Amino acid sequence: MLDIRRISTSRWWHKKKSWIFFVIFLFFIFVRISKGSIYKDFYYFLSKPFWPGQFQKEVIVNSLEQEFLIKLNLLEQDNIRLRKILSLQEVSNDDNISAAVISRKTGGWWRQIILNKGSKDGVEVGNSVIGPGGLLGRVNNTSLFTSSVTLVTSPDSKLGVWVDRIQINGLLVGVGDDSPNLILFSKDADIKVGDFVSSSPASTLLPPNIPIGIVQSIDEPFKEKKMIKVSLLAKPHSIDWVQILKLKI
Amino acid sequence: MYKFFKKKIPLIFFVFIPIIFLWHPSWLGFLGFQPYWPLFWLLPWSMINGSMSGLVFGLFLGLILDSITLAGNFTQIPGLILCGFLFGRIKLHSDFWIGHFRYGLVCSFGSFLCGTFYFLQILFKNFSDSNFLMFIPSFQNILAEVFLTGFFAPLFCSQLIRIFKFSRRKLH
Repeated sequence: MLDIRRISTSRWWHKKKSWIFFVIFLFFIFVRISKGSIYKDFYYFLSKPFWPGQFQKEVIVNSLEQEFLIKLNLLEQDNIRLRKILSLQEVSNDDNISAAVISRKTGGWWRQIILNKGSKDGVEVGNSVIGPGGLLGRVNNTSLFTSSVTLVTSPDSKLGVWVDRIQINGLLVGVGDDSPNLILFSKDADIKVGDFVSSSPASTLLPPNIPIGIVQSIDEPFKEKKMIKVSLLAKPHSIDWVQILKLKI
Repeated sequence: MYKFFKKKIPLIFFVFIPIIFLWHPSWLGFLGFQPYWPLFWLLPWSMINGSMSGLVFGLFLGLILDSITLAGNFTQIPGLILCGFLFGRIKLHSDFWIGHFRYGLVCSFGSFLCGTFYFLQILFKNFSDSNFLMFIPSFQNILAEVFLTGFFAPLFCSQLIRIFKFSRRKLH
């Protein structure tokens, strides 16, 4: 009888190198699933000596004055509307969190900032982030010490907004450049360059009446809707300090 | 200890790619745009270690960079895998100047590939909304990145190739 037996026993699972690659691969999968929180926390400690100081005060105060004037106007109108309706939920802004920007990607495809406050400080996914001027974006992910914010200019961002002059809701879509697009699903909307855009009172993602931007140009490529370029009031590429709004809408 | 660190230099540089990706040093960019950092590491690594290694580390880089960028709907993995594989098929050039310019050209091409893959994902995802045409102007992101990557590649890649070659040399 012929005895058939294996001459070579070398298989990939017998190689130490293959197992090392497999373990590394598992580690990267872990990093991917944990959304890079190890890296972000490591970056938190690494960048700590370089966090921004207080030198932006004058720029911030000027922007804040502008923001407050616009906000006051909006709040007065909103107050009148609310008194008429009498059934809106209450919002409280007592526990806002101040945070410094420790990483900033404002060009290219990835438009995000990372803040030095994380789940340890009570930041939650979905919180709105504002800077001098108005809305910057929403918290998309938190680690223990940091939180990542998707800017409104990011291609991932889609928000409901409100054009106050013509009292109409629209959709603000980030397209990967510095000016997001506002889509109005009404061809007859009388929107003009210079109109002010704020967060929508009907939005379930954002608190109402946060200033966002000003209409920069209007385009009508489709029959049934208008596409509008919006110039943002808050400048994410220069802001060093932001406020995280912990509002329950 | 020295021997260990010498051997692991490329991997130490690998660890710092996501850090520099997060750091986003504005003084090394232009109008808020940055070069596509992972290619500066992937090109020397693939040229020295070959296509398969380039492909695997392209995947690793993609996994890490996807995890630190927020774009949950889009991924950088296909572009980096393809670049890792293609870069592995390029041989080192003996001429100093041609080698340098080639790093620039190859990295520009890689950056164009990665950017295009990413852009196509954005278009594909928004295709059904009929709003996808408004994303067309953001093609400028690819052009800016291609230019910056090609501009800085000769500087970074040539140094990294020297370091990686040094790390492979045996100690006497």
